[in-house]
Amino acid sequence: MDLELAILFLQQGLVSGLVIGSVYALLALSIVMIFKTSEVPNFAAGEVFMAAAYCALFLMVFRALPVWLAIPLTLATSFLVAALFRRGVLTQVAKASGSPVNLVIATLGLSYVLKGLVRRTGYGDTPRSFPALVSTDSVMIGQASLTRLDMAIFVAAVVVMAAVFWLFAYTKVGRSMRAVGMNPKAARLMGVNIERVHMLVWGLSAVISAIAALLIAPKILMTAEMGSVVTMAFAAAIVGGFTSLPGAVVGGFVIGIVENLVGLFISSRAIVVAPFLVIMLVLIFRPQGLFGGRFAIKKV
Amino acid sequence: MQLSRRLLTLAGLCLAASGLSPVKAQEAGITANSIKIGMFAPLSGANFAYGFDVANAAKMYFDKINKDGGIHGRKIEVVLEDDRCNANDLVAAVKKLVEQDQVFLLHGGSCSAAVVAAKEYVVRQKVPLVMLNASGDGALYPPTDYIFGAFSISQYAVGGAMVDFAAKNLGAKKIAYVNHDDAYGAWNLEASKFDAEALKVDLAVESVSPTITDVTAPFLKLRAANADALVIVTYARPAALLIKKAAEMGFNKPIILSVTGTANLAQLAQNVGGPDALKNFYIQEVLSDLPGGPKIKWVYDMYKAAYPELSAKAEHPQTYMPYGIPSAMSIVKALQAAGPNVTREKFLEEMKKLNFDSGVMAGPVVFSATERAANKATVFIKYDGTNQTMVPGVFTSRWKYKG
Amino acid sequence: MRIFGLLLAAIVLIALPFFTTGYVIYLANILLTFTVLCLGLHIVIGEAGQFSLAHAAFYGIGIYVTGIAGTKYGLPFPVTMLIGGVAAAAVGFVIGVIALRMRDIYLALATFAFGEAMQWLFQNWDAVTGGPNGLRIAPAHLFGHEFVTDKDAYPVVVLFALLMIGLTILISRARLGRALRAVRESEVAAQAMGIPVQRAKLLAFGLSAFFAGIAGGMFTLFSTFIHPESLGFSTTMLALTMVVVGGLGSIGGAVGGAIVFGLISELLRQAPSFQEIAYGLILIIFMMYAPKGLFAFLADKFGRARHG
Repeated sequence: MDLELAILFLQQGLVSGLVIGSVYALLALSIVMIFKTSEVPNFAAGEVFMAAAYCALFLMVFRALPVWLAIPLTLATSFLVAALFRRGVLTQVAKASGSPVNLVIATLGLSYVLKGLVRRTGYGDTPRSFPALVSTDSVMIGQASLTRLDMAIFVAAVVVMAAVFWLFAYTKVGRSMRAVGMNPKAARLMGVNIERVHMLVWGLSAVISAIAALLIAPKILMTAEMGSVVTMAFAAAIVGGFTSLPGAVVGGFVIGIVENLVGLFISSRAIVVAPFLVIMLVLIFRPQGLFGGRFAIKKV
Repeated sequence: MQLSRRLLTLAGLCLAASGLSPVKAQEAGITANSIKIGMFAPLSGANFAYGFDVANAAKMYFDKINKDGGIHGRKIEVVLEDDRCNANDLVAAVKKLVEQDQVFLLHGGSCSAAVVAAKEYVVRQKVPLVMLNASGDGALYPPTDYIFGAFSISQYAVGGAMVDFAAKNLGAKKIAYVNHDDAYGAWNLEASKFDAEALKVDLAVESVSPTITDVTAPFLKLRAANADALVIVTYARPAALLIKKAAEMGFNKPIILSVTGTANLAQLAQNVGGPDALKNFYIQEVLSDLPGGPKIKWVYDMYKAAYPELSAKAEHPQTYMPYGIPSAMSIVKALQAAGPNVTREKFLEEMKKLNFDSGVMAGPVVFSATERAANKATVFIKYDGTNQTMVPGVFTSRWKYKG
Repeated sequence: MRIFGLLLAAIVLIALPFFTTGYVIYLANILLTFTVLCLGLHIVIGEAGQFSLAHAAFYGIGIYVTGIAGTKYGLPFPVTMLIGGVAAAAVGFVIGVIALRMRDIYLALATFAFGEAMQWLFQNWDAVTGGPNGLRIAPAHLFGHEFVTDKDAYPVVVLFALLMIGLTILISRARLGRALRAVRESEVAAQAMGIPVQRAKLLAFGLSAFFAGIAGGMFTLFSTFIHPESLGFSTTMLALTMVVVGGLGSIGGAVGGAIVFGLISELLRQAPSFQEIAYGLILIIFMMYAPKGLFAFLADKFGRARHG
């Protein structure tokens, strides 16, 4: 490979990596939010994302609703379904057993149900998309080419991250979310309605997934299996430290860039395995992830 | 006519009861008036689209044969099992059909990697296995006496024919080739390399995972190879992503998409961002006509008549539906030729002699003493987002199995 | 009560091959293989409380090593299985060493990443595993006798399953079992009681991988083909689901979960169009109303009924 080509590859790899990394980052945010408050890795995150995309497809393409109506409807539906799942199912699971693994299996159950439901519609097999919300005309940055949609995805990831960060750090609701995450008993004593906080977190997390779906579905195309992209979001979250919101976003960028550079400079075959190698490397040298705090020893 | 057949059946029954029947009772799945066929396909889950309606097509064809009087007075009885396209489940389904349901022959498999897992068992039990639409090359080479497949197309032929077409019709000297890192990919690349060598064409290959979400890296490398044509041998979603990426990056060389990625052309045009991305675009096809075209219209009509409820649903018939017909035709033809005293052995002998044009696929079904892959012929269609124009000529691979 | 149950199980196991077809025996073989897989998960998660999500990888190592030792080098089966089990255990041990530094979600995801990487390796190391073409496995043999059919393999599979169940009970009752449970409840307290926490964890990882490797070996006894597709995360999750639904932390739960859930999965094959939804709902309902697992739930109901 000559130098000129290598420089081109490097530029494009970085730019494309940031864009696809934004996708992972958005999904990672939705996972980390829930984990921060209830220590449950949401195994249905990918399917919530997928179902939101199908909800938008249904409203925009089959019902031909205008975009200004379809978007809020999709976001609202996602919020409601997720919040109700938390209230109707997970509350009972948590009451029945304190073990987080039971909550994890319940989210796994949700992922099967959502996938099955989407498949029942008959639209789950052929790859589809709805009209992109932003134009897909190309733009050049240096020698790297990307689309306006790509730029919108990147900006959205940064904005959503900032919003979530602000929510957690500076609002009353956010403080109660953090309190529930750190010490539910104390939070309850302080008058926090724990159940409502959980519902809110699940709802907001689904809204973030839905935003991601609205932006990304035209880019990666939808099938009932599209939720598998969440694997990369888990990778992003773990690299970033799993409890850190900025960490999730940085993790997303790291994974996205590594995928691209590995594909360009090593082998296309290795693209899929690269994120897992990154996870292992990061955790071997920094067991709490790049942005994770120190371990708190529990159950003393 | 009706009466005489009834009389014959009655006579047959009497004979069978008296133990003098020419039809031996010990041949599994065969009675005086029925032949039991064990069918299996993915009826659920992620690979549902590959097999559900393919099985339905085969079933409706058997129903038609039954309506016309069956085969030597016997009606075909189908027992259908879900194989989930997963090796363990497929083997369970096969064993259930053979040992529990005692079927005469097996007819199934829509996913290559899974169906290959049943090979040893089927051979050991000496049960004929006629695949549905799986390429299944791993179970066809080396040839066995019991397994017949590739009724849609052998993956070897898919890859080789693409290279052949690119070299001959588009004059490509260097071809950028992208396939998957799975069994399909390994098979089509092997034949492609063979044809490329014969045609003195250079191949620049990138193998990607079927779950890939960002195709930037493989595409850039393919573009950097500076080839005369881009050959895409992937499933529908990665294919659409690659074609869209090519358009975004101003790639203007011809793009050829294999039959594995063409599921729904109108949707493809939409997925790649409109007809602009398809200015210089060809697709490979294995059917004898454009979907819904006059030559194969009868298949779609038959489907509508047989499954009125399904037809009313979204996405039915599924794209691969007609692929179920040639294998069912082959079974019927071989059963007919095997005569009224059919045994598994006779049936297998007749399968090996099959050579007929189904009218549904681009090429004929041809088996021989050493050939177990039914179809190797593909055609190419120029597609601009709305119109499809058939390119004259039939293309295939030079690749041959060497034992 | 318990003795009655065990007796019934023994009768079913012995009588099975005489009254049923090869299909049923195949199912039994698969279920028993998954039982051993679940026992391995039980040791590392149920006993030691370490969330390892790489079980499919160790299972795969067991299958490939056993399969290659038998097919390529013609070794007899107890030897091949032992090699497979030890190879898996060795890798498990190494993962254990790395995992010692991690906890909870980090451990779960690190092992998950390892599992995915191993699946990739199975798929791409063509020279050894046959890559995407899969690997053909020759029938196992011992003293010139070949184990070809499901019925041939069944007695051996049963024997191994019983051995591994016995071994699990032994571990659970031994000092090691108590040490593991102490680590699960509180590492700090365990340390204070003089339990070598690090060593206990390492042993848990190694043993768990050994079980998975043996399960892989059992699979090769009645299967002729392995493809990397079936060694992914979904297999790990299936085993985890079985262990949790059966009852996390109890041996009976792991065994029963594997068998009951394996049967449910096979039965759902008859209801294709609703099976994903049904499967998901079963998981959710179990977690809502039978959190301690199927058997605790049944015992509870049964007990209550008896005590009026």
